[in-house]
Amino acid sequence: MSADKVAVKIETKNTETVSTGKPSAGNSGSDILFYMILVVTLLLTDVVLSIYYYRNQGAFDMRWILAALDVSAILSVMGLAGKRVGHFLTSMKLALTMLFVVAILSIIGTWLPQGDAVLDSGWVKNPLYDVYRTLGLFDAYHSRWFLAILYLLAFNLSFCIFKRLPTTYRHTLKPRVDVKEKFIVNQPLAAEIDGAGEKGMVIARETLSGMRYRIRPGQTGSVMAEKGSYSGLASIAFHVSFLFIGIGAMLGAVFGFDEAVEIREGQTVDVRGTNLKATNYDFQVKYTDVMEEGRMTGSMPTEYSTDLEVLADGQSLERKVITVNGPLRVSTYNPVLTFLASLKVNFHQASYYQSDRGVVSVLQVNQGPGKSLIYLGFFLMMGGICFSLYFPHRRIWLKVGDSGKLLVGGRANRAKVTFQRDFERLTSELRVKMGQEDKAHG
Amino acid sequence: MGNIFSHDMLTRYEEILFIVAVISYLVCSGIFIWYLILKNEKVAQLGTILLTMGLVAHTVALALRWGTSGHAPMSNTYESLSMFGWGIVLFFLIAQRFYPIRATGALVVPTAFLITSVAGVFYQGPDIPLAPALQSIWLWIHVTIAMLSYGLFALAFGAGFLYIIQENLLKKNYKGVVSAFTLLFAALGVVLGLWLGSMLAEPVTVQDPITRTVGNDYSVSDYVKIFGGGAIGLVVLLALGYFAGKGASKRSFSSILPSLDVLDEVSYRGVAFGFPLLTIGIVTGAIWADQAWGRWWGWDPKETWSFITWLFYGGYLHTRLTMGWRGKHSAILAVVGLIVVLITYLGVNFFFSGLHSYASG
Repeated sequence: MSADKVAVKIETKNTETVSTGKPSAGNSGSDILFYMILVVTLLLTDVVLSIYYYRNQGAFDMRWILAALDVSAILSVMGLAGKRVGHFLTSMKLALTMLFVVAILSIIGTWLPQGDAVLDSGWVKNPLYDVYRTLGLFDAYHSRWFLAILYLLAFNLSFCIFKRLPTTYRHTLKPRVDVKEKFIVNQPLAAEIDGAGEKGMVIARETLSGMRYRIRPGQTGSVMAEKGSYSGLASIAFHVSFLFIGIGAMLGAVFGFDEAVEIREGQTVDVRGTNLKATNYDFQVKYTDVMEEGRMTGSMPTEYSTDLEVLADGQSLERKVITVNGPLRVSTYNPVLTFLASLKVNFHQASYYQSDRGVVSVLQVNQGPGKSLIYLGFFLMMGGICFSLYFPHRRIWLKVGDSGKLLVGGRANRAKVTFQRDFERLTSELRVKMGQEDKAHG
Repeated sequence: MGNIFSHDMLTRYEEILFIVAVISYLVCSGIFIWYLILKNEKVAQLGTILLTMGLVAHTVALALRWGTSGHAPMSNTYESLSMFGWGIVLFFLIAQRFYPIRATGALVVPTAFLITSVAGVFYQGPDIPLAPALQSIWLWIHVTIAMLSYGLFALAFGAGFLYIIQENLLKKNYKGVVSAFTLLFAALGVVLGLWLGSMLAEPVTVQDPITRTVGNDYSVSDYVKIFGGGAIGLVVLLALGYFAGKGASKRSFSSILPSLDVLDEVSYRGVAFGFPLLTIGIVTGAIWADQAWGRWWGWDPKETWSFITWLFYGGYLHTRLTMGWRGKHSAILAVVGLIVVLITYLGVNFFFSGLHSYASG
């Protein structure tokens, strides 16, 4: 209840700020009360959950939830201090700073051993080991503060997308075709062709269609030609893809599992976290000779595979020979649900080793709810960035002005010099052709 | 006499064509530097024709390697460096058709020569079998796209660097020219030195059977070789850069260098074309990793550094497209960007351990 009210309060406060145009000069009494309740609730939950989590490690991965609480607590403290949270969250500066911070932290993560690897390294004996460990530097990419920064980025991204959506929608689907002469003259690139008149307009339209511009004639005599009108929308799709991938990753981290499973030939083992069992019927390694300058210098394993059967409640679900690039994916639930929520359990051939009791095949078994969302994000990301950067939005307006002058003006959202070349090609074409017309008349 | 299309003969042809390509890049480096001094368009045309012929030979060599090895030519140092050099020459030839930037050849072509000749040093025959994880259709999709994006970033770097030089020349700030050259060469020297040094080092490869991570155990003498190489590279190229800068500021180069607007646009277009390719390269890598290793992202050093590179160029595009940065600031970012690319491409393979380790060959 209280959270709802606070959300409404923030909303009204922001609109007030916008309408008066003044920076907010602090909070009113009721604002402070709400913020205080929010801050105290968040901080208390944060602390209680943290203690619970660090006492019962491994029971349930709550770091994502804890990080979310951290971020909300920080933001509400900012709100309490009278800062304009909304403004801060939507700023480009925050986005760039956060990108920079993420990059720096990632670099730290590549220098220090991560995860279990640290236990085998000399770092254990380092006097700063405990400090680093507490700071989460040995598991940097899953540490609370790393996740908190990702949350901040996600907030920032959502706000930026939200802010840009109306403009982009207008530019893409409701372009300004009917414009006044002043609008054309004021474009970043503008030219006037004297005496070109309607004839010039026809030539310009032909030239522009030749350059694969889409021509949109208006009601009041002006004409708009454009190219790459989906550039802006594609950019939004690209940015939305991060949210999809982020949510997918979060679902995977909280609800998914990832286990290394070791099976000797002929052995059947339980897959932890599921009701599944896996049997290794046969394990094969294929060696290939290494040839250098026409002679054999050794041999190396080029293929290994496990003949694997997966069972649920004693019943065989599927059997397949799995290889390194050929995993087995088993659906255990409703197939529609499996597709939507990617509830398939995947068995990957990871590696193998020789033990006293025979060759042990090492499998990586995982289940990632949110995989479909992640793959959707991947495709949006690739498509979005290509359309956004390879086909910049270029717009040119044309209108016949007073005394038969042809007014030409245009702009591009990216690649401005390249657009300038388009523009110059159009104007020089017009000048040359109109010149020829004059000569023919003379 | 064996069949002239036998496996061994094709391997022979590939070697010869690769050498032809490297020699043509060397000759073209000379020609493009000569062009800067003579300012004669005919010289530049000759250079372009020779370079195109070199590229054709290089392309055929790569195609032959694909045929003889049975997989895309990207699985070891020789093959991937060769691809990198090929990408740089390809994009230079394409870009110079659309923009008046032939003068940048004096910087870009020697870079391509350097990279391909280093590739030649690490030449490896086509009969080394592929590790199981690499046996996938994703190999060529993932690596080709990543290499093309690196080639474009190299182009963006070249144009950005010349932007800085041109701006300083126009302002008659010759000290700036000298320091830009010195800095660039020094940075290159450190990277190349560290890299060549690490090639001489003989670390013991250790593989953890359970976590599957491959690690390198370096001894003290290995560190001496690596950092000694870095130090020597720094000193040698620092001196070289200083004299190159002196040479550039003595002659009035600014008239032959492309205009500031053109350099700015070419640098931006390099990033704008390279960034989507890098994105696709990373995403296809993630899809492949999901298939082979069962996780689409694991913060392995190669992945992390490609992510850092991606963040970096994402930042470049934001400063440019939403904050309106232009000119010098963008140029500096494009120059620094290539250092990040080199760390991702070379550094990670040699200094960090992880699942991508085999990529070092």
